[in-house]
Amino acid sequence: MLSWDLITGDYYATTYDTYFGGTLNADGYPSDKTFEEGIFYSEKWGIALTDGQNFEGKDCVLIVYVNQESPLANLPSKNDENENVAISGGQSITKIIFCNGTVMLSKNGAEAAIALFDNAEGIRDMITTTEGNGIRGPLITTGYLILFTMIIALPLGVLTAIYLHEFAPKDKWYINILRRAVELLTGVPSIIFGLLGAAVFIPLTSTLTGAEGGNLISGSLTLAVIVLPVIISSVEESLKMIPNDYREASFALGANKTQTTFRVILRCSFPGILTATLLSVGRIIGESAALIYAIGTVIKDKIVITEKSTSLAVFIWSIMAGEVPNFELSCAVSLIILIVVLALNLTVKLISRKISFDTNRG
Amino acid sequence: MEQIFEIKDLNLKYGEKQALFDVNMDIETKKITALIGPSGCGKSTLLRCLNRMNDLIDGCHIEGIVSYEGKEIYQRNYDVINLRTKVGMVFQKPNPFPMSIYDNVAYGPKCQGIKNKKELQQIVKKALVNAALYDEVKERLNDNALGLSGGQQQRLCIARTIAMEPEVILMDEPTSALDPIATAKIEELITKLKDKYTIVIVTHNMQQAARVSDSTAFFLMGRLVECGPTDRMFSRPKEKDTEDYITGRFG
Repeated sequence: MLSWDLITGDYYATTYDTYFGGTLNADGYPSDKTFEEGIFYSEKWGIALTDGQNFEGKDCVLIVYVNQESPLANLPSKNDENENVAISGGQSITKIIFCNGTVMLSKNGAEAAIALFDNAEGIRDMITTTEGNGIRGPLITTGYLILFTMIIALPLGVLTAIYLHEFAPKDKWYINILRRAVELLTGVPSIIFGLLGAAVFIPLTSTLTGAEGGNLISGSLTLAVIVLPVIISSVEESLKMIPNDYREASFALGANKTQTTFRVILRCSFPGILTATLLSVGRIIGESAALIYAIGTVIKDKIVITEKSTSLAVFIWSIMAGEVPNFELSCAVSLIILIVVLALNLTVKLISRKISFDTNRG
Repeated sequence: MEQIFEIKDLNLKYGEKQALFDVNMDIETKKITALIGPSGCGKSTLLRCLNRMNDLIDGCHIEGIVSYEGKEIYQRNYDVINLRTKVGMVFQKPNPFPMSIYDNVAYGPKCQGIKNKKELQQIVKKALVNAALYDEVKERLNDNALGLSGGQQQRLCIARTIAMEPEVILMDEPTSALDPIATAKIEELITKLKDKYTIVIVTHNMQQAARVSDSTAFFLMGRLVECGPTDRMFSRPKEKDTEDYITGRFG
């Protein structure tokens, strides 16, 4: 299940409907390839087939290879005379009706299909489908969400943390309220942020970009609100770890507050900012409830920023909520998410170890 | 004899706790003044008053007059940033910034708005040469300063300070975190810097005060007990407390 095709493939299967009315080359289309056992090649048609299984686990006849000289590599579409269809490796055969009246279905198996091919002179109707069930769309959506969310939340969060820690007057009641409010945000269930996104950010982005309903920008804004407290508190923690010596040294060199903050403190807090970024990315990848409202649950193969789509986590929800839950695919996607989040967390661990090492040395 | 700092009736409180009581003393130009005394006697506090580093501490309250070149530094509207460029400071613990050696030295001039690369390079080189560090680091100016040894880091901090071309360098126990060899190097450097800069040094090490300084001030419990030329202070102290401290009877 976990394969490159899963990651790069479209979710929706495309069906090609085509026919062949011409004459075949008398010599056939011999291939210089040697095929493994279980793969059957028809020299007459230049096509190699094998028995396989589709994503749902049903038996099917998979096309392994089509000789580029073969007419099969370039056939007219049944639906549109002017369009050409290429039968190629990776597609599976749904049904073929040959001109001599024999019918081949996927349940016949590859070997029988090749025998039918070798006996036939023409094809009346050939239906093939691509595999589908790939997660490229949700993957790209997730990538966009990470990018946009971090563009919005990172500068805002880092500056807020710097304000709270470096500039804000100490022990003032409104600063304490602000800090409490930030802490409180961490405890709010994310579905409530989703409603906030639906109530505020979707209308806002619709007005600004002309998008209809949920879109990637409203989703990113919602996620930004969710990750802000994560960023603020972890950057503030790292600011606390910066020894006061650096601030004093900078002031003693005649630097003002702004120069000290942006040239020394910001630089020293870089590991903290990196940690905050990775934690936020993990949160974005894993977030599902909020996004159901904020960008929708429509699975898309072609991602447009101002349209609905799904992130990986919501994708699981979408395929499980359908009439036929795709349990296998959702497990595969879960595994991908878990691996990414685990990798991010390990990186965070490594970085925080490096921070303590550096401060010890300093 | 010219005075660069004049301190009159200086009282300082951290919150409720008074750290300095009626301190009156002058600091002479182009001389090394040592401030000695037991821990918590207020010598570091006094040092930090001279470039207003105490401003950074919450609840610090100051009364009295500290004049630098005839101008009172605690009056309102006094340009603190300018004061700190003229009165540099080296701290007890070597505290280079976690950036390259070059960036450490160039930091001060850059903050003053010097952008010209050539000019900066010259300033950095001159400062490192004057801090007797250039030969050791010229091959690796772009390495992280935290990779230097403790003594080198402290000389880098001195280089960073003299890159600002100050008038005065304040040193807060600059060798207390260093081994004897690194200490000797710093002391040698301090004596060399005397020609160009006024130096005020806080030290716990009596021998160090005797070796490097021209005049010495002895503090006890936040009060200035006695100050005068180092030779006389160590040979014929006027006060009994001073004698007791110098001879090691307490402290």
